[in-house]
Amino acid sequence: MLKLPQSSTDRKHFVIVGALVVIATIALGFFLLAILPVKAQHSVQAEPIRWLFQLHVWLIAFLFALVVVFMLYALIVFRKRKGDDSEGEHFEGNTTLEVAWTVIPLILVVIFSFIGFQTLRDATRGGDEVQVEAVGFQWSWTFNYPNGVVSQEMVLPVNKPALISLRATDVIHSFWVVEWGPKQDLVPGMTTRIHITPTKVGEFQIVCAELCGLSHWSMVAKVRVVPEDEYIAWMNQKLVEQNIQTASR
Amino acid sequence: MQLTSLGLVRGIIGYFVGLVIGMAVVMISRLALGMSAWDQEAGWVGGIVFATIGFMLAVGSMTDWLKWTRGVETPFHHGPPVGKPAWTRYFSVDYNHKVIGIQYGVTGFLLLIIGGSFALVFRAELADSGISFLQPGTYNTFLSMHAWVALASILLGVGGMANYLVPLMIGAEDMAFPRLNAFAYWINVPAIITLMISMLFGWDSGWTAYPPLSLRGPVGYQMVFWAIFGIGLSSILGSLNLIVTMLTMRPKGMTLFRMPIFCWAILATSIIQLTATQLIGLAFLMLSFERTLGMPFFNPLYNALGENIGGQPLLFQHLFWFYSHPAVYVFVLPGLGIISELLPVFARKPLFGYRWIALSSLAIALVGFLVWGHHMFTSGYGEYLRVVFMISTLLVAVPTGVKFFSWLGTLWGGRLTFPTPMLFTLGAISVFLIGGLSGPILATAATDLFLHDSYFVVGHFHATIFGGFVFPFFAAIYYWYPKITGRMYNETLGKIHFWLMTPGFWVMSLAQMTAGTMGMRRRIADYDPALGVEPVHMLITIAGFVIAFSILLMIYNLFTSAEVGALAGNNPWRSRSPEWQIPSPVPEHSYARPITVVGEPYDYGLAGSTYVAMAGAGDD
Ligand code: HEM
Ligand SMILES: [Cu+2]
Ligand SMILES: [Cu+2]
Repeated sequence: MLKLPQSSTDRKHFVIVGALVVIATIALGFFLLAILPVKAQHSVQAEPIRWLFQLHVWLIAFLFALVVVFMLYALIVFRKRKGDDSEGEHFEGNTTLEVAWTVIPLILVVIFSFIGFQTLRDATRGGDEVQVEAVGFQWSWTFNYPNGVVSQEMVLPVNKPALISLRATDVIHSFWVVEWGPKQDLVPGMTTRIHITPTKVGEFQIVCAELCGLSHWSMVAKVRVVPEDEYIAWMNQKLVEQNIQTASR
Repeated sequence: MQLTSLGLVRGIIGYFVGLVIGMAVVMISRLALGMSAWDQEAGWVGGIVFATIGFMLAVGSMTDWLKWTRGVETPFHHGPPVGKPAWTRYFSVDYNHKVIGIQYGVTGFLLLIIGGSFALVFRAELADSGISFLQPGTYNTFLSMHAWVALASILLGVGGMANYLVPLMIGAEDMAFPRLNAFAYWINVPAIITLMISMLFGWDSGWTAYPPLSLRGPVGYQMVFWAIFGIGLSSILGSLNLIVTMLTMRPKGMTLFRMPIFCWAILATSIIQLTATQLIGLAFLMLSFERTLGMPFFNPLYNALGENIGGQPLLFQHLFWFYSHPAVYVFVLPGLGIISELLPVFARKPLFGYRWIALSSLAIALVGFLVWGHHMFTSGYGEYLRVVFMISTLLVAVPTGVKFFSWLGTLWGGRLTFPTPMLFTLGAISVFLIGGLSGPILATAATDLFLHDSYFVVGHFHATIFGGFVFPFFAAIYYWYPKITGRMYNETLGKIHFWLMTPGFWVMSLAQMTAGTMGMRRRIADYDPALGVEPVHMLITIAGFVIAFSILLMIYNLFTSAEVGALAGNNPWRSRSPEWQIPSPVPEHSYARPITVVGEPYDYGLAGSTYVAMAGAGDD
């Protein structure tokens, strides 16, 4: 058992704690990444979000380790021993330290503001090669395409930038496909937009993410991401169906 | 003794008499205007307003003021009411801040239990997927009630700590305005009754009450609006009183930077409460007016040309969060003050960086006014605003960090002991750390676009609120219990409480965050098992019940120890603070003679120094 120094300012304490912080950061970082599986990974816009999330996780792991290791170490090493009735060491503060732990976080804030700004830009921009309007109402969705096609499910071609316009007819809703990453509210009285470039073929769920009353929990719709030729085929079929409907009326 | 000699009983009678009168007034006015007599929106609003006035009159909170208008003098009566048992004063209007503090604290605790029970109900429902016993409408009501009842419990708990402790800590006889103090407490009671009545009608928007949803739902909303208005009025009046008390009633020698650190926390909190609360009061009144009178503040309304001649839903969100973000610091700053207050006592060391901690509270309060937009990243407001609010929000982390590091500095090199209050203080730090560190990830707007309105946010704010309020509140209860009752709580039970609740809470918040990243939305009555979150939900529910059980142990402990606990003596913790230099329980007049401050509050380990001189130092 190694002998710990008496004075609280002895360098030895800080060497030990420093080593423990490093170990704890690594362990905690991997632990957090394991228990926080970010599902957003199937759109161009999801990538920067996941990347920033994981960067945050490492910072969180470090700061958590820093505080908790220092705290646990202090609790063990500076606990009152039996028969020791002395008071703690008398020091009231340290201005250098206080300035340091004000300025260093401030620098981190500047860095993260910058990174956050860039990530935000990447997570919200995209093209409008495909356009579709999603209308949310209590408690369902419909989707309108510019060519007049109306659908109960949303169909998008894979890897094509889509601009989705959002409109609510009654109360506020929110458009969210977990696998795509970002969400955007639908607000009565205004049109909002979200850029999504889906990167994976498959079936996903559009869910309403803003509490909108009784059946909010079940306000979901299907979205299918398909290869481009399949998309064109679907669109043509829809056009035919709807033209026939219009004609026979 | 007659039941009606209790102010509370008279107040409740007054409430229902007022309710009937109010509804009648509305009906008569409507008839006079040629409308149908009964309109439930207008009827209930009139009823609630009169009921609240009825309660306040009947309970006696305005009696002295009414006498003044007639030129009658009303000298203070000190001590329990004449000819009645001493306990009755807790159920009637009493001007002693210690009584009012207990009234606040106990009511707050009661609401914590009620609000927590609501959560247990819907947590049981969420334990597995599929709707088992709570229909979505009821689920939404329970969820929404849970939030506001819990928030009210926090506001009252904060009021309890502030009212009981601040005058004691600064050696004051009482608060600056004792009658206003009593009024500010009692206005909560009719508000809470009104809030409970809303359950009969239901409402389904969550605590945020965003229009247009809150303009359409059942009439239960009206009760929520007016209940929150009442509780908000209490915050405003109470904080005004606290600010004046701290600024004008400190004893000789107690400069601002020699106040106990808890007072700094309350000063910062009060500044927020006095100013920001007015915004939510206003916003909720506007909702009520829009529902009752059709004033188009928030709901868009189109003319024949398709132009919006109505309101803007986003306006409400701005007003709401301009209060509700600063409000989250109302919830936590007092608790952080408790942490700073207790650490030096159990470390036997000065508080590290007193001035930095004091000013960081003010800094958090002030920066807190500039960040409300981080709740609206997905709302559809101007895109550049996302950047502005991202930066301002990240800035909050700086003064928060100062607190954490200063606490570590306080522990370092101490002689630490771990009775229950210290355990809860350390637990608070660990839990608040989880909450605080999950803040910046929500603040960088891009990540928030994914996490917003998911369970990750639920995990974040429960961790901040438990770490910043519930754990410190429990620490404070255990710590001042001997001062309040004169007896010690049971240490073993206290430790069991801690070791059940703390790991339970860690598991609960981390699991909530896990569910969030897996795509679990918040505020939904049922979820898709395909998300794979079912085991996570089971874990959250189990942890929730463990926490609830541990709190039952605490209640049992507090009740039994008041009878059988060991006598505590004046100063079981060897604290330097003035309230520990006087007898326990504190006598009616706390300080026999004015105290004088002759040293620093936290100079533990400095031989021969004291903070206060008790006998007025013989100077006057
Ligand atoms: C380190 C400082 C903190 C930061 C950077 C931070 C950041 C945030 C952000 C960005 C949100 C919005 C999340 C969303 O809805 O998508 C949020 C939500 C919330 N935060 Fe914090 N927070 C911090 C500390 C706190 C504290 C101390 C409290 C105190 C109780 C708190 C309570 C809440 C609450 C109640 C919500 C959710 C409100 C709702 O949507 O119902 N936060 N926080
Ligand atoms: Cu919806
Ligand atoms: Cu906020």
